[in-house]
Amino acid sequence: MTQTMDDREIRKDRMRFVKNTVSSRLCYLAILLNVLYFVSIYKSDVGSWYYQILVGGSIVYNLLFMLITFLASEGVKNYQKKYSTVLFVIGALQICRIFLLPMKAHQAVVKASGVETVVMQNPQFIRVILYLVGSAVCLIAAAVINLRKCKVLEEHANAMKSRNAKEAA
Amino acid sequence: MAQLSLQHIDKIYDNNVQAVFDFNMDVRDGELIVLVGPSGCGKSTTLRMVAGLEDISRGKLLLDGKDITQTPPKDRDMAMVFQNYALYGHMTIYENMAFSLTMRKEDPNVIHKKVLAAAEILGLTSQLNKKPAQLSGGQRQRVAMGRSIVRNPKVFLFDEPLSNLDAKLRGATRREILLLHKRLGATMLYVTHDQTEALTLADRIVCMSMGHVQQIGTPLELYDSPDNLFVAGFIGLPPMNFYDAVFEGGMLRGKGFEVELTDEEKDTLSGYNGKTITLGVRPEDIAEGGSLPVKVFSNENLGMNTLVHGHMGEGNRISAKLRGWTNYKNGDTVKVAFKKKHFFDKETTKAIRKEGR
Repeated sequence: MTQTMDDREIRKDRMRFVKNTVSSRLCYLAILLNVLYFVSIYKSDVGSWYYQILVGGSIVYNLLFMLITFLASEGVKNYQKKYSTVLFVIGALQICRIFLLPMKAHQAVVKASGVETVVMQNPQFIRVILYLVGSAVCLIAAAVINLRKCKVLEEHANAMKSRNAKEAA
Repeated sequence: MAQLSLQHIDKIYDNNVQAVFDFNMDVRDGELIVLVGPSGCGKSTTLRMVAGLEDISRGKLLLDGKDITQTPPKDRDMAMVFQNYALYGHMTIYENMAFSLTMRKEDPNVIHKKVLAAAEILGLTSQLNKKPAQLSGGQRQRVAMGRSIVRNPKVFLFDEPLSNLDAKLRGATRREILLLHKRLGATMLYVTHDQTEALTLADRIVCMSMGHVQQIGTPLELYDSPDNLFVAGFIGLPPMNFYDAVFEGGMLRGKGFEVELTDEEKDTLSGYNGKTITLGVRPEDIAEGGSLPVKVFSNENLGMNTLVHGHMGEGNRISAKLRGWTNYKNGDTVKVAFKKKHFFDKETTKAIRKEGR
C-alpha cells in the first residue's frame, strides 16, 4: 500500500510519542546472542591455558557488555543520538572478540589428562562466530536505525517549530 | 450515537441475593443519565450489567433496538471510565490512550490522529509523553476519559469517576465532563452517590434504593416533586426536614406545632382529613418571620446563607437555611415560616399530590 504525503507526516509526528522500539529490541537480541556466545565458549573449557588466562577478563567483559548494551537500549529507545556511537563501538568490539578467543582456540590442541584434545572444533567455532557476528550486526543496525530516526525526528521538530513560529507571527 | 433500553432487568447473585429489581428505563440518544443512590443500592451493578461486566439475571438490554443482553463486553461498543482510572503505570499517556486501539490492531496513523484529537479536547496535548504517576488525579481521570473517547463508542459509562478527587478538583472535572458531553453529544450513563454531581450533570436522574428505582426524572423534578420520602430525603443538601402531623380543620398539627395551609394545599390533602401524614420541608424553603418558634442550638454561617439547627415544638429537629448572615446563639428563639411544603402518605411513603398531577 502506497503511503500518501499525509501518512508520511503522521508517521514522523508519531515518533514524538512512540519509542524507538526497533533499535532497543535489536539491542536485547544482541545481548541474547552474546549470552549464547559465552555459554557456548565456556562449555569447551578443557583446562587449556586460553581459558585459564582469559576466563576472568572475559566474564568481566561480558558483564560490562550486557550492562552497557542495556543502558544503550534505553537511550536509543528515547531517540538519543549519543547512544548510537556507544552501539557502534561495542558492535566493533564484538567483531574484535572473534580474533581474541575463538580464532586462537579453533583447532588448537592441548593435552588434558594425558590425552590430546582439540580445544574448539569446527561446528562450535562456526556457532560462536555466528553468535558474535549476529550480535555485532544487531548492535550496528540498532545504531544506524537510531541515527536515521533521530535525524527524521529532529527535522520534524524543527519544521513544527518554524510552523508554530509562523502561526504565532 | 445510541439509544439504550433496559427492560425489566433483575440481578440475582449466585447466593440468591437480589441486587437489582425490575429496572426499566429508556435512555435517549445523546442523553446523560445519572444513577444516584446510597452505597449498595445497585447503581454500579446496573452499570456493570450494561457494560457486560455482570450477567443480567432477567430482562433485556437493547442498544439501538438490538438485543445485547448476551453480547460480550468487547462487542458492545461501550467505553467505561472507572473510579480508580485503571491506567497502565508503565505506559505513557499517549500509549495509555492508544492502548485499546492498538489491541484492535488499528492503523497506527489512525490511532495517532484519534489520540491527538482526544488529547486536544481534554487539554492533555502537553502531557502525552508523561507517565500517569506524573499527573494529578484530575488529569489522570481525563486520561481515562480520553481512552474512552478515542474508541468513539456508542455509549460512555462512568462509574463514580470523581470519587477519588478532592472537592475543588471534583468541581472542575465535573464541569469538564459536562462540556465533554455537550461537545461529543454522546449517550452517557453516569453512576455517583453524590447528589450534587447528579443534579449538575444529569439530563435525567435515576434515584435508586435497595435495588429498586425510586424515581426517574429531571433534576428539577426530583428536587421539586419527589415521588416518595426516600427521594425527598436523599436529594437536597442539607436534607429535607420531616414531621408527622395530623391534617384537621384545614391545619396541620404536629407535636407542639401548628402549620396553616393554603387553599391549594388543603385541596391536596382533602382525602386525608383526620389522618396522620408526613410533612416535608426543605431547609431552603424556611424563612425568618413566620409564626413557628424554633429554639436554636447551632448557627453555621456559610457566607450567603446561615444554616440554623434547632428544635420546633416537642423534640422536632429542624434545619433551616436562612438568607444572609445571622448570629443566633444557643437557646435563642427564632420565628420561621414554611414557604413550600411536601406531603407524604405515612403508610406508603409516597408523595401526596393533587389528583391529575
